[in-house]
Amino acid sequence: MKNSKKRQAVIIGGVRTPFLRAFGDFTPLSTIDLGVQAVKGLLKKFPIAWREINSMIWSGVILPSATVNVGREIIFDLGLPMEIEAYTITRVCTSSLCAITLAAAAIERGEADVIIAGGSDSTSNAEVKMPQSLVHKFAPVVLSPKSTVRDYFRLLSKLNPKKDLIPQRPAIRERLTGELMGESAEKMASRNQISRESQDKFAMQSHQRAAKAIETGRFASELTSVELPNKNKVHADNIVRGNTSLEKLARLKPVFTKNGSLTAGNSSTLTDGAAAVLIMEFEKAKSLGFSPLSRIRSWSYDAVDPTDQLLIGPAISMPKALQKAGMTRNDIDLIDIHEAFAAQVLSVLKVLGSKQFAKDRLGFDKAFGNIDPKDINIHGGSVALGHPFAATGARMVITMANELKLSNKSTALLGICGAGALSAAAILEAVS
Amino acid sequence: MNDYFVQISKNPIIQKLINTMGLPKPPVELNRNTQPWEERPFNDQPIMIGQIQQTTLTKTLAETVVKAGGNPFIEKDEAILDIFDQVGKAYGRLPQSSLKNELPEKFAPKVLIFDATNIQKPEDLNSVYSFFQNHLRSLAICGRAVILSQPSTAKTDIPSAASSRALEGFIRAMAREIGFKGATANIVYVAPDATNRLEPVLRFLLSDRSAYITGQSLHISTQVVSDELIPKSRPLDGKTALVTGSAQGIGAAIARTLAREGARVIIMDRPSEDIPAGKLAAEIQGSILFCDITTPSAGDQIVDMVSKNFHGLDIVVHNAGITRDKLLVNMKPEIWDQVLDVNFSSILRVNEKLLPIMNSNARIVCLSSVSGIAGNRGQTNYSASKAGVIGFVSALAPRVAEKGIAVNAVAPGFIETKMTAQIPFATQLVARRLNNLNQGGTPVDVAETITFLCSPGASGMTGQVLRICGGALIGA
Repeated sequence: MKNSKKRQAVIIGGVRTPFLRAFGDFTPLSTIDLGVQAVKGLLKKFPIAWREINSMIWSGVILPSATVNVGREIIFDLGLPMEIEAYTITRVCTSSLCAITLAAAAIERGEADVIIAGGSDSTSNAEVKMPQSLVHKFAPVVLSPKSTVRDYFRLLSKLNPKKDLIPQRPAIRERLTGELMGESAEKMASRNQISRESQDKFAMQSHQRAAKAIETGRFASELTSVELPNKNKVHADNIVRGNTSLEKLARLKPVFTKNGSLTAGNSSTLTDGAAAVLIMEFEKAKSLGFSPLSRIRSWSYDAVDPTDQLLIGPAISMPKALQKAGMTRNDIDLIDIHEAFAAQVLSVLKVLGSKQFAKDRLGFDKAFGNIDPKDINIHGGSVALGHPFAATGARMVITMANELKLSNKSTALLGICGAGALSAAAILEAVS
Repeated sequence: MNDYFVQISKNPIIQKLINTMGLPKPPVELNRNTQPWEERPFNDQPIMIGQIQQTTLTKTLAETVVKAGGNPFIEKDEAILDIFDQVGKAYGRLPQSSLKNELPEKFAPKVLIFDATNIQKPEDLNSVYSFFQNHLRSLAICGRAVILSQPSTAKTDIPSAASSRALEGFIRAMAREIGFKGATANIVYVAPDATNRLEPVLRFLLSDRSAYITGQSLHISTQVVSDELIPKSRPLDGKTALVTGSAQGIGAAIARTLAREGARVIIMDRPSEDIPAGKLAAEIQGSILFCDITTPSAGDQIVDMVSKNFHGLDIVVHNAGITRDKLLVNMKPEIWDQVLDVNFSSILRVNEKLLPIMNSNARIVCLSSVSGIAGNRGQTNYSASKAGVIGFVSALAPRVAEKGIAVNAVAPGFIETKMTAQIPFATQLVARRLNNLNQGGTPVDVAETITFLCSPGASGMTGQVLRICGGALIGA
């Protein structure tokens, strides 16, 4: 690997599978299968000699417990060279953005020239676990060579049907607070006084914009079709509702609390999907004949107190990424914020306008600035498209990198919130 | 050592029995917080705020409430609402106001704060009356009522000084009225230049850590030089504390609480207390110094130990104390000498030796007693020693303020300890009811208060005697 003075990582491009509602057509596909489909699509779109690939950085949130290193399995399943090293990370909803920035950092440090980074999640295949108490009772008997039939009978007599035999549902509650993410978002809505109307309005905007992007073929360049085990092919996202209206959204009942304002309409839904991005060293890309879309100017990963406002983190990360890039709000052309819930995005926007927040929480003299919800997420977001946890970050990078190129703009700021009150932001800059 | 009346009245059958028989209601068990200091002590609690008009404290008050996780509710005035709105926006704690009819129907504020710093004339008292008259009924169980005012100086005009003093009477009387539900009422005088020292005091006073402090006045000034950061959690990290007489009882509770907040504690007690001292040291990873406080070399022994193992002292709690009760006519000179020596003279002797090894931003807290304020039959020796401690604190405080050292005393009332358990049963029975809260305090109440007084945020308070007495009916 060349070790010239200033190496620069660039994004060549990316693809994603369609995003489908959980327990739909993608149900037979595991997290690994979805990843395989995304990487397959990526290699088809960007034909690169396989031996040039150095590394695979994958990510997932609901990881299969038997094969946690999903990235390595993708290499095997695709028949890629065994010499491609792989690892799999999890950083909740910021996972695939993290995979991408890790790749950029590795390339700029000179560890690799070509990396595939991405993430996949199959919420349809979340594992249902037997209680650990059952394991603790069984293991000593099963693992001991001295166990007799009598021991097994004794074991059966010891089992408590209620405690030991009822499988545990996969929990998406915060371990610390015991709250569902929607319950935390509901709290944020009421604390920041985000009305149901403004949430529905934002959700409608998301759906309409995503529908328009599909209609005008804006997503065509980033989608790869997926072949199902029954040989049928899935070509398109299935969660977007372009024909939704405020009246329809207003009719939905709150889902998390009785008098709440969060509904299925203004929240992101459980989704299956995957996304992959090809990242190279700039000179290497040139020598291989690829023209890069953009580079990552800066990023910031942060965390806040989950017992306070769980999903407010982007309000910390976005100004920080901006500061690291030495830019101001006016230098940013596009803003894309992951929509876990409309209420969460609107809370973040509200706080970004507060000078006191900037001073107390970031130590900055100036607020990030007021942002009109209309000015962000020009092609919709997770509320409309769905949110396969570890594919969302890569989806945002792909959509924004393509958009910068197509619309001839120069910078995009991404913000993502995640479980455990994590957050991330990154600034993409077009490469001319 | 438990108040059995509070304990048995938790039993639902006995509760019913008490109700049907029309017996007086048993005291409410006070909410206490013995967890480490947290970022947001008033998490999600409704906090009702009233003001005569907007004052210099309004912004501090707004910041204090929302940073501590409280949900502010405001009465009247657009200007005040505006400030709360600005600050609340940053923390997701936007104010709700009766101006906009936003007050919920069923509403039990945990805290009622009235900012009366700009009180100018007797008529201004009316707004204090109407604020509390309106909301007192809905104050939550174990709630907190606080009035903020300005201390009078020679320059204060007569009507404002007089009206400001009237607030003190108001709060003491109100404390007696709300004690039945475990709620407390206190007044805080904030010097005009000490606004930025108010927040930590309120965080303590409005929390469950001040459960047994009621009917008191606190004074915040900039007398003590302070140049350290004020952490919201683990306030005593990296500090070294000496607690005398801390093998057992209140002293042990103090040592535990100081250690919980990050202090390295030197447990000092007589050699005969080796077993409990050893256990406590193991529990809190403290150091032990066996030394009788009355030996002439006690001060030197401490200095020697500290200079060998630590970098000076940040906290000294003069806790060691004894009682030897006898009516004055029957009091032998031995027990007179003994009590005065342990409780009083030794503090003076030892403290003089310790001052040179105390770091800047240090804190000294002495244990006084309500007995030292009000006097107690059979305790001429004890009362004299504990009153002497008050004199010591008020004389020492201004002399060390420049060095950044704050000196305060706490005066516990009836605290449920081994010492008070020895009081004759009938006396005990009456003694623990003679206060607003209708019950005795616990060593934890004293320990939490002292820990607060030892924290960086308590720099606004010095030379004061803070009573932890549940609003005892006796004493000034």
